[in-house]
Amino acid sequence: MSSVFKALADPTRRKVLELLRQRPMTAGELSEHFPVSKPTMSAHFNVLREADLVDAHKQGTTITYRLKLSVLEDALLGFAQTFGFGSLNDRPAGDPVPAPSKEIL
Amino acid sequence: MIVKRFGPAIALAISFLALAAALRYAGSQGIIGEDVATRAVQVVIGLGLAAYANVIPKQVGGRRGSIEAETRAQAAQRVGGWSITLAGLIHAGLWAFAPLSLAIPASMVVVGGAVMLTLGYAVWCFTVRRSDSPGGA
Repeated sequence: MSSVFKALADPTRRKVLELLRQRPMTAGELSEHFPVSKPTMSAHFNVLREADLVDAHKQGTTITYRLKLSVLEDALLGFAQTFGFGSLNDRPAGDPVPAPSKEIL
Repeated sequence: MIVKRFGPAIALAISFLALAAALRYAGSQGIIGEDVATRAVQVVIGLGLAAYANVIPKQVGGRRGSIEAETRAQAAQRVGGWSITLAGLIHAGLWAFAPLSLAIPASMVVVGGAVMLTLGYAVWCFTVRRSDSPGGA
């Protein structure tokens, strides 16, 4: 459960989940919504995947992400969005910008 | 495979039945009131329903043919998960706190309504929305 809280504490990851609520998207489509590097986005995706909040499917060099939130996790996401936990200006000391990973976007 | 898939559900059903039998026995022996036993069983059933429905949206299953089909399945699962989870919690709350004359019909209406909403929305997603989508996928 702590991995879920860690994943939901970051506004970028919450925005990713918000986008996936609309429909499944590829890593490239999701990255277009954020002014950050692809390795950073890839690290965010890894955190979400480790928390089991998204499902990833790789086809060739394209990874498609699907939302995988339980009702409780969905409610926690809405709660965090409403009260703005972990906004960009008050990122927790223990949760800096994720380290880049070698995953192909 | 079958045991792995249905084992937890069977174990949960057996524990529900054992709890119901224990509470009935306690009620018949005068240890607790008769309606307390009934209420406790119904509260547990409501919470069990909520716990089961909580994970409905997490069962993403295999890949579907198109993004549109994935989107419709996701929407149906989210609506079903939310409506049945809330219905389970309301069912438990009604049986815990409401008078029996209200709890019995209201809990049936709430759970029945949630099931109808879930099924209705799923049918709508896979018929109306399917025919509206550009590819019809």
